[in-house]
Amino acid sequence: MKLEFGEFLAAPECKVVIVACPDVFRTEAGLRHGKFSSEYRELSAVIVLDPTDMAKIEVKDSDLVEVLGEEGVVIVRVKESEKEHPGIGYVPEGAWANVLGAGPASAKVRRSQQGIAAIEDVYHR
Amino acid sequence: MVCTGCALLCDDIEVGENDCRHACRIGDAHITSTNQIDPMVNRSPVDMDTAIKSAAEILVSAEKLVFVGFGNLVTEAQATGIELAEKVGAEIKTFHTGIFDDILDGRVKTCTLPEVRDYADIIIFLGCDPMNTHPRLLSRYAYYPRGEKRQHGWEEDRTAITIDPRFSHTASICKDSYVIDPHRQIEFMDALMDALLSKVPKTAYDKKRILKLAGTLKKAEFGVIFAGTGAAAPPRDAIIRLMDRLNESSDFRLLSLAPGYNLRSIAEQLRQLHSRPTDDCDVVDSDSNSGGSNGGDGGIDLHKADCILCLGFDLMNSLPAHGINGKLIVIDPNETLTSRYADVVIPCAAGGIDAAGSAVRMDGEPIELPLIRESGRLSDVAILKRLLEVV
Ligand code: SF4
Repeated sequence: MKLEFGEFLAAPECKVVIVACPDVFRTEAGLRHGKFSSEYRELSAVIVLDPTDMAKIEVKDSDLVEVLGEEGVVIVRVKESEKEHPGIGYVPEGAWANVLGAGPASAKVRRSQQGIAAIEDVYHR
Repeated sequence: MVCTGCALLCDDIEVGENDCRHACRIGDAHITSTNQIDPMVNRSPVDMDTAIKSAAEILVSAEKLVFVGFGNLVTEAQATGIELAEKVGAEIKTFHTGIFDDILDGRVKTCTLPEVRDYADIIIFLGCDPMNTHPRLLSRYAYYPRGEKRQHGWEEDRTAITIDPRFSHTASICKDSYVIDPHRQIEFMDALMDALLSKVPKTAYDKKRILKLAGTLKKAEFGVIFAGTGAAAPPRDAIIRLMDRLNESSDFRLLSLAPGYNLRSIAEQLRQLHSRPTDDCDVVDSDSNSGGSNGGDGGIDLHKADCILCLGFDLMNSLPAHGINGKLIVIDPNETLTSRYADVVIPCAAGGIDAAGSAVRMDGEPIELPLIRESGRLSDVAILKRLLEVV
């Protein structure tokens, strides 16, 4: 029987500092389609990682990862960075980044089996 | 027409039946947005009168009130919001206004955007990425255009440099970029200040590159720093210290790239309020320069407020707002994350779109905002005036 991460094995983790960044396309999607739209969610629930950090946690571009921040957890999609920045994860500014805590926040990242949740399921008052 | 998508307040927008010429992506989406909301109380639709009455009831019964935002209101609505805050004893909490305060208090030199276009030769983008926040800044003023003394534009006459925790989109078109560790921003600023005194800096950053940067900055005839106001920017006092050091040997001016289209105006109005000779009101304003704090700045901690009025401000999308328990009232033209959680939602017309008014551009220039289109929505001024009448 093949062992899968999440069943018997803990997925490997890496530590990153989360830096929130603006994204014009995400701002546009929020205005055009609304803050609860799938377009906005797809552009918000993203983490840009360095290839060396991606190798550590055994993920490739577009895989889903769980980001465990100081104040909360989110599932986001990995985007491979074109520039080197080991130890830093860039997340678009906004609700997803805020769930993790005030920036620059420390976080652990690991592969996820779950999908990206709607923001109303992530953010609780 | 004028776009209120950001604090550049571009005044060359032409809005047709089906298009919006000259606006950037943000401006076009902002002007054509249709994500409007209905008035709501306890997450159920109601009529406007009921929503305004419910908001008034919460405002008069609350004891620790905070009004947040103001950056996306026309100047006239900001003034009415201040009056309302005075009447109900609310604290006004603006975010990202710290550098405007330094500019208005004369602590740092500044300039206008047309002066940047005409004279700037060295431009630093410090902890900001205008290509993603103020998309037309580089094309209208800061980099590409020919100016009175900069006839060769960016190719020969201007050097633009980014200093940021990320190699941003803005960095990708600048001549040089310094990517700094988000936890070691002050170390970089101190190293640069030493290098400006021609000392070899004590730092783990590349000393040669920092000395080269200092050499470039010292040669500026008309230098400009555009500073971000969020967590990606160095602390405000470090920016002011750098400005002082730069101006010992060259000539630099500071402009703030803050979110919202009219934050400079609220900074101006609150400054006037506090300099009133017989200022006996209870209104306190407080600023967080980090954009990520919500209470460490001396004012009421948002977690301790029993009522928060969000004026054109998506609180939950802008701050880590976990555990905010007070009643939430939202006055906003569009549906926001905060409006989904609010106790009362009052939709308003958007400044410069379906409500006319005025605003102050990021460099202090007053701008009239004509109406782009009529709608049946009440303006933010009208809503705040109605609240003033009944509280
Ligand atoms: S740069 Fe700002 S003001 Fe100009 S069109 Fe874009 S969003 Fe509007």
